[in-house]
Amino acid sequence: MTDLIVARGLGKTFGSTRALNDVSFQVGSGRIVGLIGPNGAGKTTAMKALLGLTRFEGSLSVLGLDPYRQRHQLMQDVCFIADVAVLPRWIRVHQLINLVAATHPRFRRDVCEHFLSRSDVKQKSRVKELSKGMVTQLHLALVMAIDAKLLVLDEPTLGLDILMRKQFYETLLNEYFDEQRTILVTTHQVEEIEHILTDLLFIDRGRIVLDASMEDVQESYAQVAVRPEYVAAARTHKPLAERQGLGRTHMLFRGADRAELGRLGEVGVPSVADLFVATIQGARA
Amino acid sequence: MSRFFWLIRREIWEHKAIWVAPAIVVACLLLLVVTGNVHLGPIGGMGTDAPLAGFPPETQVKLLLIAYAGLALVVFMVMGIVAFFYSLDSLYADRRDRSVLFWKSLPLSDAETVLSKFAVAAVVIPLVALIAAIIAQLVVAAGGSVKLSMSGMSGGIMWQPEAILGGFMMALLWSITAMLWYAPIVGYLMLASAWAPKGPFLWAVLPPASIFLLERVVLYSRHVGDFITDRLFGLYRLLGSRGERVGDMPDNPAGSDVARKIGEIDLVGDMQDFYTSADLWLGVVAAGLLLAAAMWVRRYRDETA
Repeated sequence: MTDLIVARGLGKTFGSTRALNDVSFQVGSGRIVGLIGPNGAGKTTAMKALLGLTRFEGSLSVLGLDPYRQRHQLMQDVCFIADVAVLPRWIRVHQLINLVAATHPRFRRDVCEHFLSRSDVKQKSRVKELSKGMVTQLHLALVMAIDAKLLVLDEPTLGLDILMRKQFYETLLNEYFDEQRTILVTTHQVEEIEHILTDLLFIDRGRIVLDASMEDVQESYAQVAVRPEYVAAARTHKPLAERQGLGRTHMLFRGADRAELGRLGEVGVPSVADLFVATIQGARA
Repeated sequence: MSRFFWLIRREIWEHKAIWVAPAIVVACLLLLVVTGNVHLGPIGGMGTDAPLAGFPPETQVKLLLIAYAGLALVVFMVMGIVAFFYSLDSLYADRRDRSVLFWKSLPLSDAETVLSKFAVAAVVIPLVALIAAIIAQLVVAAGGSVKLSMSGMSGGIMWQPEAILGGFMMALLWSITAMLWYAPIVGYLMLASAWAPKGPFLWAVLPPASIFLLERVVLYSRHVGDFITDRLFGLYRLLGSRGERVGDMPDNPAGSDVARKIGEIDLVGDMQDFYTSADLWLGVVAAGLLLAAAMWVRRYRDETA
């Protein structure tokens, strides 16, 4: 596994706000990484630094290139959807496909048309005549037809309904992703992507607060539905977080002994959302 | 190269005014011709009484040439306005609707993007103007010859090579000259378009306008104003007529004095003077610098801001 992205001490300041503060991480090939954080945490700034769209402090290498200086070369192998609905509204679908085909050496028209044939997007339509969901389908069809090594998705499903969001991620996982590709995705709808992610990067207030693979998370974190009589005993194991459920107190533990936890209640794998809330609260405390 | 061709096509898809505006001009002209309202510019009404017939042949040709040139001028002025707004919009429209984030996801360099847009404003639009001007001249020539033959005269005069081919040549000359002379204005407008946080029109117009006013108020001079006026209209001073104005014609247009004056009208001016003038070539150099600046701004402008 080679590292596609190596970030060391990334920093970025907007006025008096520190959008990124000494951010370091690396991403290997064949991974699906979720960059997750609350609004204003620095997700988009980090993405834009990776894509060479913004200046930054520190060192950053994407596919061995400096994204800021070598953006043009980088875009041969990197594809991105920054926000939703940024396709030009005046263009027709077939014009857009022709244009991408003419400018992108790695674009495969047949693949794009295959994806589009399953949607309601008509070749003759203008982008502005399409619904929001159709625009996203179109954008995704274009992007998935590009044989890129790294795909960066910034809130790709914002504004889509639940059916479309589900379909979006299923298509991405089943028909696009393979060992040769890496996907970096930001979202704050964590529930929907947790089953496709291989790695988690939590970011808060410009800092990375968690950098772990899903295997790490399953090994070292445990969610326990603690029976009322054991609540006091459970607290001695220093839970990262606790919340009330139906007749149970759900506590999140890190690195605690599983057998021990099993006596307190049912042990399960924490959801990314629970882990996220606990980590952010822990980091801010 | 085919990439560049597609980028140019993209601009024409987006900015329909590039072909719609000249099409409207030609369509209006066609309508005037069909309804019999062709008035050939500086000649005044070439109506049923046809004052044209009263002139010696070489003056007739000259008058027609002036008319054809006038037609071309109308087309070029319309296309000048199209080019102005196109340039101003070229590097701003996609930032306003955020589609710049899509364009920047393609493996295109910002230099290519800026160059393709410059090529549209400084080459494609003048070429469209040239074609539209020639079509306009043909439409009027055809309409004029029908009209002349209906009033019992020979319509063939409209097709005299010195007049109609001369008209084509004028249009060709103007399109090439406009490309070179207005290139720095295109470059400047594109820089404003790339840089403006919003409202590129104000960002393009306010700086020179305020410098102009400041100079007027503080120094009581108007070098900046002269400089701008010269760049906008100096083309006509350098290229244009050195003869007397046709508007000075007396009521009796067939008089020999008038024919002489018309004969003296110099539509082309001193070409050699113009093409060797420092003004022209400094302008081309300035266009290159402004374009490089526009590329730089386009490349390094922070889209997150």
